Amino acid sequence: MRMIRTLFLIGAFLFLGFSKICSAQEGFSAQEVIAKSRLAFFYAANDMRVKISMELINQNGHKRVRELTMLRKDYEDGGEQKYFMYFHKPADVKDTTFMVYKYPDKDDDRWLFIPAIDLVKRIAANDKFSSFVGSDFTYEDVSGRKPEEDTHHLLRKEVLNDNNCFVIESIPRGKAEYTKRISWMDENNFLPLKEEFYDKQNELYRQFEAQEVKEINGIMTITKRVMRNLKTGHRTEVVFQEVEYNSGITDDIFSERYLRKAPMEWVK
Amino acid sequence: MKKAIMRLVEFSINRPKLVVFLTIIVTLLFAIQFPKIRIDTDPENMLKADEPIRVFHKNVKKEFGIEEMIVLGIAREDGIFHKDSLERIKRISDGILRIKGVIADDVMSLTVTNNVVGMDGTLNVRPPMVDVPETDAEIERLRKEVLDNPLFKDRIVSSDGKGSSIYVPIESKDIAHEIGEKIKVLYKKENGPERYYLAGLPIAEDTFGSEMFVQMGLTAPMAGVLLMIVFFIIFRRISFVVPPMMVAMLSVAWTMGGLIGSGFTVHIMSSMIPVFLMPIAICETVHILSDFYEKLPQVNDRKKAILAVFDELVKPLFFAPITTAVGFADLALADIPPVKVFGIFIAIGIVIAWFLSMTFLPALLMLIKEKRPIVKEETGSKVLGWIGRFSLGKSMAVVLTGAILLAISAYGITTLKVNDNPVKWFKSHHPIRVADRELNKLIGGTYISYLVLESEAEDEIKKPEVMGYMEALQKHLETNPIVGKTTSIVDVVKRVNYVLHDEDQRSQILPKDQNTTGQYLFLFLMSSSPDELDHFVDYTYQKANIWVQLKSGDNRDMTAVVEDVENYIKGNPLPDGIKVQWSGLPFLNITWQKLMVNGMLKATIGTWWVVFLLMVLQFRSIWWGIVGMLPLVFAVVFSYGLIGFIGKEYDMPIAVCSTLALGLGDDFAIHFISRFRQRFRETKELKQAMELTMGGEPALAIFRNALVVGLGFFPMVMATLTPYVTVGLFFGALAFFSGVTTLIFLPALIGSFKKVLLKI
Repeated sequence: MRMIRTLFLIGAFLFLGFSKICSAQEGFSAQEVIAKSRLAFFYAANDMRVKISMELINQNGHKRVRELTMLRKDYEDGGEQKYFMYFHKPADVKDTTFMVYKYPDKDDDRWLFIPAIDLVKRIAANDKFSSFVGSDFTYEDVSGRKPEEDTHHLLRKEVLNDNNCFVIESIPRGKAEYTKRISWMDENNFLPLKEEFYDKQNELYRQFEAQEVKEINGIMTITKRVMRNLKTGHRTEVVFQEVEYNSGITDDIFSERYLRKAPMEWVK
Repeated sequence: MKKAIMRLVEFSINRPKLVVFLTIIVTLLFAIQFPKIRIDTDPENMLKADEPIRVFHKNVKKEFGIEEMIVLGIAREDGIFHKDSLERIKRISDGILRIKGVIADDVMSLTVTNNVVGMDGTLNVRPPMVDVPETDAEIERLRKEVLDNPLFKDRIVSSDGKGSSIYVPIESKDIAHEIGEKIKVLYKKENGPERYYLAGLPIAEDTFGSEMFVQMGLTAPMAGVLLMIVFFIIFRRISFVVPPMMVAMLSVAWTMGGLIGSGFTVHIMSSMIPVFLMPIAICETVHILSDFYEKLPQVNDRKKAILAVFDELVKPLFFAPITTAVGFADLALADIPPVKVFGIFIAIGIVIAWFLSMTFLPALLMLIKEKRPIVKEETGSKVLGWIGRFSLGKSMAVVLTGAILLAISAYGITTLKVNDNPVKWFKSHHPIRVADRELNKLIGGTYISYLVLESEAEDEIKKPEVMGYMEALQKHLETNPIVGKTTSIVDVVKRVNYVLHDEDQRSQILPKDQNTTGQYLFLFLMSSSPDELDHFVDYTYQKANIWVQLKSGDNRDMTAVVEDVENYIKGNPLPDGIKVQWSGLPFLNITWQKLMVNGMLKATIGTWWVVFLLMVLQFRSIWWGIVGMLPLVFAVVFSYGLIGFIGKEYDMPIAVCSTLALGLGDDFAIHFISRFRQRFRETKELKQAMELTMGGEPALAIFRNALVVGLGFFPMVMATLTPYVTVGLFFGALAFFSGVTTLIFLPALIGSFKKVLLKI
């Protein structure tokens, strides 16, 4: 009788122990996955220079093209960042520049230079949910969202286009642009391969998809992505070209002086 | 021909039970089609799907992302700029965004429509009221922000600050009523001093659809019941009431079953088929019954009496409905799809009614057991006989009087005003009409038209000369009292310029070069959603769309605005390579009105020729054909002249009614003439033949028909939808005039032109 009880106890310990080891092997909590993903996606390296071509395509297939060079400098992983953008296209906005200071705990600072009237104007950042340069991406989609702003929950694991993914559901704690987000995060590099956004009517309305991932300077980078608005039929296709990491972008670039006269060696 | 029909009648009176049984079976077959009914209330469907203006409208909607819109107006006597009212507006807007079927991205309201403002040197693109302001100072700031701004003033907030509106685009027109009900729930939860108005063409159209159901299900049977009562009062005999009603209702059931079963939608036009068919079917049966009850006492055998009736009546009973049917079938040549369906199915219905009168009716007459003795109607015949003698005696005077009346009525017709407005299909106290009136007082207009400028190359719209032209054209349009508000890309660019220059009044103008315009628009788009400007420009800046809000949905008013723009363009030529084109529901409505008025006129004239030819053929005389047409001409000219004098506008239902005159007028005339000529052949004497016609059964039957039709449809006047009211009233007038002209003028005409008509 005692034997049986002992065996049972050993069995129970073994079982508990295994399950503990297993969960460790599984990796991370949903919260951790989201935090890691944010760093991999928005804070790769210390700085980045990229030529972005953006096609805004409406439901009739008509296109508006944006071509810009973007410079990014990080000041702290997961913390402050500065962005500088120079527009090559469309033709009538050439030389327009745009600068964003991003702070983790307060509203961004944004400035725009309008060459036609030689004016630098500060632009209010009322919310992070407004569209980024008229695309289907919001500012938040482009510069990230703090993990604490949502409650995350690992739904399942799933293979998406041969990649093992965590599928995580995120429900906003406060005000947000969506009511529910479901993300597919690559288990190896934590890049988001797919995201689905649900609206107030609890219907899927926006969908993000990474279409091409390349290793650049040892960093896995999404070089082609698309955001679709399923309600309007509008979509934005983004291609990253000439990606450079850690090229030593200096601090002074992010100033009004360069906003008025773009640093051609960087934005060419 | 006659033999074949007589065999049909003989079969029916020999095997009455079998015929009734078969009729019931066929009726059931048609009745099971009814649940398949599909209602179509879209006035757009008055136009063919490939009509150029409709295709253009569809393209404009697609190109500029324009959806069908419901407008909710929120008004408060002492202004909406109070904290509690603003809170309600916010709550209701939030609620509307959550309703399924609402295109949330395109909703326009104080809380979601972006405004461009400059604050402390910062440019801000955001809705005026993201959060409800707390303090009086903040409320004042909000008030100033929107009333100072052409993109909001008279559009989202009334210029006196007493009302605000929410524009709710919906996924499709047929859910407008349902979404409207959900919006009602939202504002009924609030109990403040505000009043709420729900308007917009889709709501009107969809509500019309659901009320059409009610009218069809309620008014038509009510008309039926009243017809029965009128019948009973006139004939004092149940056996006289049931058979005509049965024939009329079965004809309607078969026709509508056939229409629904063959996959056609029930449109506003086809929903009137029952109402048109009933009197035509009843007229047939009244002739048969009148004659039957005259002959029955003489022969005292039902079978013999029926055979005698059909022997005498077979020809007019065949020719009158066939003429009418061919006339209606001729409407199939009209260019308006619902009118085609209407014409064809009425024609089918008439043939069905004729068939039932030849089979089911005699069978029914065999099965009815008469208990009371039949007494001959005396008073009516005496009066009619006297009228006949008078008209014949003073024939020239009567004809002259008729001619004078005709001339006066013709003058009345010239005063007719052609106009229509789907919102006016509701009676004036209907909530939709009230909302429409109040909302159009409050904001720039709920009737939204689009004036589209098209160029040949990309980015043309941004050119200063094009922008300047649009600005001037809008300024001109806004001097027109019907136009409440115009909005376009010009207003956006001017607003950005104004804000960038620290709200200096002098900078509320357009920039002088294309690059500045381009950069302003880019700046605007940088901070708003990608489709924010889609309502104003296409994606490649090749087309621009000026929103023209009208305070009236009357086609006449829209026509005036269109002419105004045409004249303006004549005086101020468009920039090179630019074309303009109207679109939007009000413009679509005037297009189909034109088609409808001209189309119906053409179709009716064509139909009259056909009827005339058929009459000439069956009377084998051109002169009799002309005389036979006259009651029709009189009835129509009198009725329309009357409408002209009363000042009622010539709208869709009135246009449709003109075809009804045909159905009634030619029936009366064919019966009168063919039976008069029969009697003239027998007596060879004008006075005696006339006495037998007017003092006997033929005139009495016509008189009864006119009375039944005129009175029986009176309940339609109580319908909530004006097309039904109009049809009800018009029925009365037409039946009255057709009866009068047949019974008073035909004897006089025959008397006056006896030489050519009777060769005496």
